[in-house]
Amino acid sequence: MDPQALSFDLTVAVRRKDAIISGIVSGIQRNIQRNDGIDFITGQAEFTSPVDLKVDGRALQADKTILAIGSTIITPPIPGLEEAGYITNDEALNLSTIPASMIIIGADYVGIEFAQIYSRFGTNVTLLGRAPKVMPNEEPELSEYLGTLLADEGIELHASTEVKAAGKTNSQRYVTAQVDGIEKRFESDVILLAAGRAARVADLGLDEAGVEMNGAFLSSNEQLQTTAPNIWSLGDANGDYLFTHRAIYDGPIAALNAVKGLGKTVDYRVVPRAAFTEPALASVGITEQQARDAGYKVKIGIEHFADYGRAQAIGETDGMVKIVVDENNDEILGGHILGPHADILIHQVAIAMHDHGKLERLTKTIHVHPTMSEVVKGAAKAAR
Amino acid sequence: MPHYDIAVIGAGQGGLPAAFMAARLGAKVALIERHTVGGT
Repeated sequence: MDPQALSFDLTVAVRRKDAIISGIVSGIQRNIQRNDGIDFITGQAEFTSPVDLKVDGRALQADKTILAIGSTIITPPIPGLEEAGYITNDEALNLSTIPASMIIIGADYVGIEFAQIYSRFGTNVTLLGRAPKVMPNEEPELSEYLGTLLADEGIELHASTEVKAAGKTNSQRYVTAQVDGIEKRFESDVILLAAGRAARVADLGLDEAGVEMNGAFLSSNEQLQTTAPNIWSLGDANGDYLFTHRAIYDGPIAALNAVKGLGKTVDYRVVPRAAFTEPALASVGITEQQARDAGYKVKIGIEHFADYGRAQAIGETDGMVKIVVDENNDEILGGHILGPHADILIHQVAIAMHDHGKLERLTKTIHVHPTMSEVVKGAAKAAR
Repeated sequence: MPHYDIAVIGAGQGGLPAAFMAARLGAKVALIERHTVGGT
């Protein structure tokens, strides 16, 4: 095969993505229409009291409300950024041409995923992270490893940066940032902003409902109840785990509590998460340091993909697995995977952890040879 | 004025299972979405 003979058309990729989404949306719409218990109403909802709503001006009453409002990107107060113009993750999925260059502000999930996507499309990507590492909340060894891999494939990665200003000259945009104590200027066609999110509360009239905020997110308890006793909230809007699967998990719990008053509580001890880079970075539970800070005596098991036949066979040997275990009773506290299919492999650890499972779940279960899953088992067996 | 047991604001990936579960439990549900279903 001649890779030079291949070409890539972003508009075709975006069209394919839109077609897939459109199919999913139609399926959802059919399910809603078929459900006699649900009236679907299109428009912007606004509270006028805790039980009164207006949807694009039309009034309705609801004894109880579940807020599933999601989150939206935060625009940090960077002088000149609005005037310079920027895109977010939404627009980054809908570009019609591949930009020659892109500055990405923020090196967490969204930032690193788009950095790799556009870098592989051929864009010169500059990634500016505020923290000392990409993915700063994840296991530091793995974050650092991934940062090195991203830099190795040509992404200009700067950590511990503080963005000072942005602007535009002719068609070129620029960002100035403090890097290692020195102010540097970066130029690009496009600025992608990926520096944090907040609950999407605009125009909802939450004050009228008595729903209070806790910083950028809604104030809610373990039963997903907000500060208004007849209003619950789920998903991103509550902060912490901004993942679709967390909202999917919250949904029925909010409904059971709102409709039946069951007082069910959420348990976020085992929320697996993944950054869809190549290799992927996925984790569940807590890091080694978080475990030590919480007072655990820990055992650590580490294993590298490069030492396993399957990884060698497919030529994807970058990455490692790290398992964090409570030394006292062998309970698994966390699993952290950087490597091929980490987004799938992490479920081995999540399932083992679900009901406070012990290390032997992983060490004593027979795993198929040769598969990547053996690296996870190997890390569990290495724990000491 | 229309009256509902439960209003679910947002028909994304969290609002949908909330609305379907509420309806299954017998509630009369208003599912309100300003944009498109399925979330962003």
